[in-house]
Amino acid sequence: MIVSRRLLAALAAVMLWLPAAAGAVDIKAVTTPLGLKAWLVQDKSAPVVSLSFSFAGGAASDPKGQSGVTNLMATLLTDGAGPLAFQAFQRRQEDAAASLGFSTSLDRLMGTLRVLSVNREEGFELLRLALTEPRFDADMVEQRRAQIVAALNQAKERPASVAARTLMATEFAGHPYGNDPDGTADDLKTLTPPILKQRAGALLMRSGLLVAAVGDIDEAELGRLLDRAFGSLPLGAPLPLPSEWQPPTRPRTVVVERAVPQSTALMALPGIARDDPDWYAALALNHILGGGGQQSRLFSEVREKRGLAYGASSTLRVYRKAALLVISTASANERIAEALRVVRAELARLRTDGPTEQEFVDAKTYLTGALALSLDSSSAVANLLHSMQVDNLPPDHLTRRAALIGAVKIDDVRRIARRLLHDEATTTVVVGKPVGITADP
Amino acid sequence: MMRRRALLGGLGAGLAFAPQAPAWAKLFSVERRRAETFTLANGLQVVVLPSTRAPIVTQLVIYKVGSADEVFGKTGIAHFLEHMMFKGTATVAPAEFSRTVSKNGGRDNAYTTYDSTGYYQTVAPDRLDLVMRMEADRMTGLRITEKELIPERQVVLEERRMRTENSPSALLDEAVSEQLFGRHKPYGMPVSGYVEDVKRLTVADLMAFYGKYYAPNNAILIVAGDTTVEQVRKLAEKYYGPLAARKVEPRRRPDAGAADLPQRTIRADARVAEPRWSRHYLAPSYAKGLTQHAYALQVLARLLGGGETSRLWRALVVDRKLGLSAWASYSPTSLGLTSFDLGVHPASTSPMAEVESAVGGQLGKLIDEGVTAEEVERAQNRLLAAAIYAQDSLASGPRTYGATLAIGGTMADIDAWPQRIAAVTPADVVAAARHVWRPDGLVTAMLTPQGGAR
Repeated sequence: MIVSRRLLAALAAVMLWLPAAAGAVDIKAVTTPLGLKAWLVQDKSAPVVSLSFSFAGGAASDPKGQSGVTNLMATLLTDGAGPLAFQAFQRRQEDAAASLGFSTSLDRLMGTLRVLSVNREEGFELLRLALTEPRFDADMVEQRRAQIVAALNQAKERPASVAARTLMATEFAGHPYGNDPDGTADDLKTLTPPILKQRAGALLMRSGLLVAAVGDIDEAELGRLLDRAFGSLPLGAPLPLPSEWQPPTRPRTVVVERAVPQSTALMALPGIARDDPDWYAALALNHILGGGGQQSRLFSEVREKRGLAYGASSTLRVYRKAALLVISTASANERIAEALRVVRAELARLRTDGPTEQEFVDAKTYLTGALALSLDSSSAVANLLHSMQVDNLPPDHLTRRAALIGAVKIDDVRRIARRLLHDEATTTVVVGKPVGITADP
Repeated sequence: MMRRRALLGGLGAGLAFAPQAPAWAKLFSVERRRAETFTLANGLQVVVLPSTRAPIVTQLVIYKVGSADEVFGKTGIAHFLEHMMFKGTATVAPAEFSRTVSKNGGRDNAYTTYDSTGYYQTVAPDRLDLVMRMEADRMTGLRITEKELIPERQVVLEERRMRTENSPSALLDEAVSEQLFGRHKPYGMPVSGYVEDVKRLTVADLMAFYGKYYAPNNAILIVAGDTTVEQVRKLAEKYYGPLAARKVEPRRRPDAGAADLPQRTIRADARVAEPRWSRHYLAPSYAKGLTQHAYALQVLARLLGGGETSRLWRALVVDRKLGLSAWASYSPTSLGLTSFDLGVHPASTSPMAEVESAVGGQLGKLIDEGVTAEEVERAQNRLLAAAIYAQDSLASGPRTYGATLAIGGTMADIDAWPQRIAAVTPADVVAAARHVWRPDGLVTAMLTPQGGAR
């Protein structure tokens, strides 16, 4: 059969192919004949094209009473389009060995396409159909809605999910970021095919579109295929951004009771914007506190020295209108209070004394080297290119990054530690049956 | 599902417990045709998978030992030992191993499965020398002290609380394994061990296990990425070459599954919000049982429950609307027998009995009416396509090579995989289904909210 021959041919081609020479990631800014903009890394080292793209406006812009509409709409884009109902659309993807998917963050509606370069026409045609002629068939709307409602239920039985959700709802109370991107069961019930179609029309437009492509494809060919997939979308005008977020002004502890032997804890502090001049100092600080892996202070103090937890880590989260530093750990109900005391002590110590010279130097070495560790597949590189665009970075950022990290001084890290690591506005969420932790009213 | 869950991530704090992607789909690492292998005089097998896609290199050392080599009463040793491997040697202080990798811009971790234990680092090419030196050092030079053991025991128990005791579904999986493979039998006991055993393990227990299994002739060294065979050979000779071989007893796995245990397990748990129905059949692997079915079973799992165009999905989710999702999975990389698993997430209004009978109807129909050439071909294509995409990722290759070699597979087996998958016929698929879907080697599992209202 045709399908089989095509795939076997591609497989054979892969076996013959020799890898391209190693080198820096060479990013080209491409403008298509219709004026669409994209970034491209041409890479012949795998017979694959990976696309990562997004539209402005995510779950945070769900209309009131329609929470979850963006997420449900995004899911349904690949559930039938044009003349193809769900099963037919799926089969076309499978036959081309193409994989097309959409997802939703608070700020953006994101999509990925991965296709063998030999099948790229078909891959981009399916993408065009999904973007411009999604069907929103009633039976698929019902099926996806039921799956999302079940997933919301399931999340309630997982302590880590409960903690994550509660943290967002508490930290962003009254702000759109506090809403669950998956929506509520009640709101989901009210969503109909016309509402979903309308939501697709409000988000799928060329204005605010970001596109990154990686793989065995050249500029001209990419331009032609992008025009075909995205060219007929309206130019449109992006939705208004969410309002400004006011960080909490007092510490708060929330306990969610669950009958489990281990309590899961999350702690949030106001973070730092991606375009802040101290961003790289903050990256170093986070690495020293709880980022990276087994070298961090939290790992060492909470896990290695005291055996209080399997994991203890921190991460910087950046949204369009907010930023957080989030610390996470989990410990037996009887010991979680002690684990959190150790975490707080480390925050205070790092804030007061700053990092050691050795910690500082090691953090910079790690951050410089770590970027390469993530460049291991076409889709990983496409995702990196896409997130660089979301962060408003220039295409030559990767060549400048090492210098930006190199320029950080230990005083910068001390300063950012004093700015970020304070107790006045910490939100703590504990899920389980914690002993010795009292919730604030 | 069960076998996938049996894989324990090692020290990686904060790492999600990601299920393995379909095992054999990953067999094509980047440039698999260029994989080379050689064996040092002391018996260490070395595999090199060169790729210049990114300026990084991964070292993976796999020991042919896992939790299934433990005995009841001393379970959890393999996994506990994996944790203690980061606690120092004569030349590397406790915790210094990972700290050194990190300060050199790299990442490292480890994992334990039923049949193997792996340690890996990803670093810049000029740091390969460093990590090979350190990995060779702890192959025979580990030192474990009471001082380091005591807090780490708590870490291991917290890991178990996080992965298993906090999760009704994981607890049900443990019950399924026990009833399918046998109480106190190698695959019937948890990879992380029984809590009571872990609490009692001593420095002497761990060192005895280490001395018995950690040796160059019981290990496989895999290096993938931006390096050359010559470079790896030079470094392997330098650092691993001087280590002495040791006599290692051959490993054994039972020829049969559980006898006399109930074929049904139900977990009613107040923490459960959504029910689950699943069925688990004892199945041959690449290494045990009627191994000739191992390739057809991969095609069977794909066409029966691989994705939203599969038989179970169409019948249960689309046509009868009894389920919200349906799946099947089979992993042949096991030294002993393995399992063929399938399951349904029942819709809120579906009685379990009706779901079970609908699944039974589908299995019976497949046996009675066979499968079409077209659906076999689609399943084959999807397996092959997944293999092509796996070549696009540097991360997936070494572990899959390791899993296969650790159970006695050869490089030739790995090379022949696409041909063997492509050679599967509709009759092979039905014969494999007939062999595995027997009434005497199965467990049916149900997870329900307390009271089992549905």
